[in-house]
Amino acid sequence: MMDFLSNAAIPAVVLLIVVTAYIRGVPVFDAFVEGAKEGARTAFDILPVMVGILAGVAVLNGSGLIDMLTGLLQKPAEAIGIPREILPLLLIRPFSGSASLGLFSEQITRVGPDTFLGRALSTIMGSSETVLYTLAVYFGAANVKNTRHAVAASLISSYAGMLAAIFICRIIE
Amino acid sequence: MLNVIWVVMLFSGIVLGLVTGREKEVSDAFLSSCSQAVELALVMVGAMCLWSGLMRVAEKAGIVDALARLLKGVFRFLFPGVPKGHPANGAIAMSFSADLLGLGNAATPLGILAMKELSNINGNSPIASNDMVMFGVINAACIQLIPATILIIRQQAGSTDPSGIIPCVWVASFVSTVTGIIAAKALARVGRIPPKYGAGNGKRLKPSDRRG
Repeated sequence: MMDFLSNAAIPAVVLLIVVTAYIRGVPVFDAFVEGAKEGARTAFDILPVMVGILAGVAVLNGSGLIDMLTGLLQKPAEAIGIPREILPLLLIRPFSGSASLGLFSEQITRVGPDTFLGRALSTIMGSSETVLYTLAVYFGAANVKNTRHAVAASLISSYAGMLAAIFICRIIE
Repeated sequence: MLNVIWVVMLFSGIVLGLVTGREKEVSDAFLSSCSQAVELALVMVGAMCLWSGLMRVAEKAGIVDALARLLKGVFRFLFPGVPKGHPANGAIAMSFSADLLGLGNAATPLGILAMKELSNINGNSPIASNDMVMFGVINAACIQLIPATILIIRQQAGSTDPSGIIPCVWVASFVSTVTGIIAAKALARVGRIPPKYGAGNGKRLKPSDRRG
């Protein structure tokens, strides 16, 4: 059922758009090509932003910084109720999508998907986003140089959500 | 902000890598990341074309307007700088819908389109407006009804109840979204320069920013 819903979502949206447009007399294909041209331009504009961000993230991952931070923060984190198995994911999640997905897939088989830890890890992954990458791409596409409080507000939001995830999973354990 | 973050990421990564003898890993990561970026961007070109095209069709069919009207009240509060009936309203509505439905590849292109509309309102200034920050923050908070990828990984890991985490995901997403909105509104106030003192410390704001 879940599979069907998530798989059917895109075709259903496309069908709705195309049929409605056709009924209302929109030159559907012409409009599509017009919009697509603009999309292609935007995508190429983003390429340099992506190269920069991914290079920064890759260097961080390769350097072992996350392992080191995990070691340093383990004690204080456990004091406020964050299990050490979850700490690496908390640290990497806002910065690297591929690294956090890799870490998650590996951790979940180790702790078991239906344990408290497994459910907390899943909830964190399901309810958060690679904040830094998302903001860099969006603001990069709009040619914004000064993002003001966007990164700060997003990190606050992201950590509030991830801590809430751990808390909820602990209550309903 | 990104200028600082980027330097910190590269500096701490490279120095730590050199000190701990992982210079080979760092070097490899550095070189392989650019081809990875091109791969990602190429996939994006296709998705961007497809969804920008469909978005244009939906716009001409009046679907985008209808969606924007539905969310009018919420948008007044979140994006006070967006004029009534401006195309940005529709673009934001489409982008949020794609996020909510978890339309993966569609969500990013639609988000970019909305951000560009907001940037137009901001006179394409290199300094983000309050509305642009709010949009970025809500988008990054990722409200998603069905986190499909995670459910599949749970299933593969042998879970007896892969979708059992969905209510928890909803609550956590809600907490992060509401916190993000509050943080964006609060920090916008802190970062703003009172008009009567004029612009001073480099954060020169456009009149459209002060309205909200």
